[in-house]
Amino acid sequence: MKDINIEERVVSDHKVKITARGVQVHYGTTHALKDVDVDILSGTVTAFIGPSGCGKSTFLRCLNRMNDTVSSARVSGSILLDGEDIYDKRVDPVQLRAKVGMVFQKPNPFPKSIYDNVAYGPKIHGLTRSKAELDAIVESSLKKAALWNEVKDRLAAPGTGLSGGQQQRLCIARAIATSPEVLLMDEPCSALDPIATAQVEELIDELRSQFSVVIVTHSMQQAARVSQRTAFFHLGHLVEYGETGQVFTTPKDPRTESYITGRIG
Amino acid sequence: MTVLFLVAIVLALAVVGYVVARGRALSSVKGNVRELHSLPGYYGWHGFIMASLPALALLSVWLIVQPMVLERTVATLMPTETTADQTAFKLAVADIRRLAAGLDVAVAQGAMTEEEARSLNSESSNVRDTLAGVGVALGSDVSPETLLAAQEYRVKSATGTLWRMIAVIAVAVAGLAYAVSVTNAAFRARNRVEKVVLALLIASASVAILTTIGIIWSMLSESINFFRQYPVFDFFFGLTWSPNFRGGSELGFLPLLWGTLYITAVSMVVSVPLGMFTAIYLAEYASPRARAWIKPVIEVIAGIPTVVFGLFALITVGPFLRDWFAQPLGLGNSGSSVMTAGIVIGILNIPFISSLADDIINAVPQSLRDGSYGLGATKSETIKQVVLPAALPGIVGAILLAASRAIGETMVVTMGAGAAAKLDLNPFEAMTTMTVKIVGQLTGDTDFASPETLVAFALGMTLFVITLGLNIIALMIVRKYREQYE
Repeated sequence: MKDINIEERVVSDHKVKITARGVQVHYGTTHALKDVDVDILSGTVTAFIGPSGCGKSTFLRCLNRMNDTVSSARVSGSILLDGEDIYDKRVDPVQLRAKVGMVFQKPNPFPKSIYDNVAYGPKIHGLTRSKAELDAIVESSLKKAALWNEVKDRLAAPGTGLSGGQQQRLCIARAIATSPEVLLMDEPCSALDPIATAQVEELIDELRSQFSVVIVTHSMQQAARVSQRTAFFHLGHLVEYGETGQVFTTPKDPRTESYITGRIG
Repeated sequence: MTVLFLVAIVLALAVVGYVVARGRALSSVKGNVRELHSLPGYYGWHGFIMASLPALALLSVWLIVQPMVLERTVATLMPTETTADQTAFKLAVADIRRLAAGLDVAVAQGAMTEEEARSLNSESSNVRDTLAGVGVALGSDVSPETLLAAQEYRVKSATGTLWRMIAVIAVAVAGLAYAVSVTNAAFRARNRVEKVVLALLIASASVAILTTIGIIWSMLSESINFFRQYPVFDFFFGLTWSPNFRGGSELGFLPLLWGTLYITAVSMVVSVPLGMFTAIYLAEYASPRARAWIKPVIEVIAGIPTVVFGLFALITVGPFLRDWFAQPLGLGNSGSSVMTAGIVIGILNIPFISSLADDIINAVPQSLRDGSYGLGATKSETIKQVVLPAALPGIVGAILLAASRAIGETMVVTMGAGAAAKLDLNPFEAMTTMTVKIVGQLTGDTDFASPETLVAFALGMTLFVITLGLNIIALMIVRKYREQYE
């Protein structure tokens, strides 16, 4: 992996946003995630890498309790968001997901106009009191997602009519509009061409100043480019977690080294 | 030789064509299938099609044309006054054919020889009695001309049948020979076969369209007959429906239209909410186990004949509504009412809407639901704002289908709402619909020339136009949202 340009990264002393301890996930009889401990920092992009089926997406979906929608999934262990257990009985997953937004692997714009797609979150959470306020949120979210210039003249057009890359940025704008504290991204660039990927990556870097971003990716180049911290998952175990530069240049675990040099996958 | 036997021979030749053409294709490349343009089976099917299709096409054309030609020929033997106009011609030809068929039966049963049947003449024997002896009843005494024509008809049709057999088999053999002769490694058998299959598919699709055109045509001509005898304005804007077979009827269509729309509206008020809620429960909330038995149970309703629902309306719903609502509220004391029929049709339509809508809701991709949940939407927000809008075109289609069914429902209305055509707002009053009156006007002894009977066709035509309009609206709605949503 010598071709990857790994810059020296300064990870400032951000406080811990999410603390996961001893997280286990079972899908029916399959033990998908085994005993994962992670601290995710605020104001940081954290990348989850690892071969297919290693549990990285499963873990991501634990962080906003999306696994609740899968009836066969059982989650144990503790995940604290700002010190509060998100699997506590008193926590409503609906409120949690407003704080922990998610962008999916495949762009999934709603069958509504571009405007309504972005306004969806603020509307259901009652974040705005007037149309002008909503307009402002829609505009700023689309701007942050680097989509505003392309769609500002056709906000009433259906979101499903956009190109793949635009759709994915629309989904990011939609997630930003609810102003979450954490943004989870499950392979957000896997369906995009290199140009759209570059745009989304640039966007992720900008988002870091406001949210803590967790990104699952299959591309190690991408992890190296956008993240400050990297976690390597293998067969349901969290093998290594640390500063991105360190993980890619001087991995502590032989499995990490094998993976990033392409020997296991 | 009967048609069935002839078809069997052609099919046997076709099978021979399959085997021979396939074998020839294989032998032309010495068994190396890779050198063939198409798979060996396609060469076989090409042989099959070439042997059977032209021959069967010829046979069907022959079956249509031969009687027409024969009728024309033998009619010339009849006195001109009996074939002067269309109706008389049809009657004369029918007589001839019945007599010819009678002679056939007599010959078959041995009551007379073939020779006798040919030389029979009405002076020397009583044909009517002879045929009655073998169980063929003729309406009137046989005139010499008819007998002559019938004998001529028998002879000509026997000749025609013989030539038919020769021609059809010749075409089948020629097709077979052609298919075998063109079969070689480079011959594009697959493309040929696929073209025939394509034609078959197109033909199947046209059956429904042609039938619709046929329906319109038959109803239109009878409706025009009706409007020749009854003023158009009085039909479409008349407020009274009182057919009288002694003449002087008032055939105003508005009371029937009102009854139809009223009953349909009541039924939709019942079936749309219940059906939709059922569908939403089944698709979004029911556990797989609950769904596995609730859905089939609801669909059982769809399989119950509507006449059984009519009984339910007649003996249960009707009296219940009368005793508990109509009479206490002072709205009349009729067991048959718009409410009775409307509610029962509504119940009948619940599985229709719920089952279709359930499938449509299930077809909404899970990724849309995930996207909504991922933004912190609740289940009901997701259903209301994402799932249902995405499923809307299909749901509208399902609802309009149910509306068409409600408009066309006859049995439940007859038994539940009665047969009295009235213009009334009271939903506990007996009313009736267009379909009931169509049946009513056409049952019993009817004379197909009076406006009282022909009005049924005008009603049918109007009903057709209404449901067609409804379907067009449905299509427009679906298209509008499809443009917006896909």
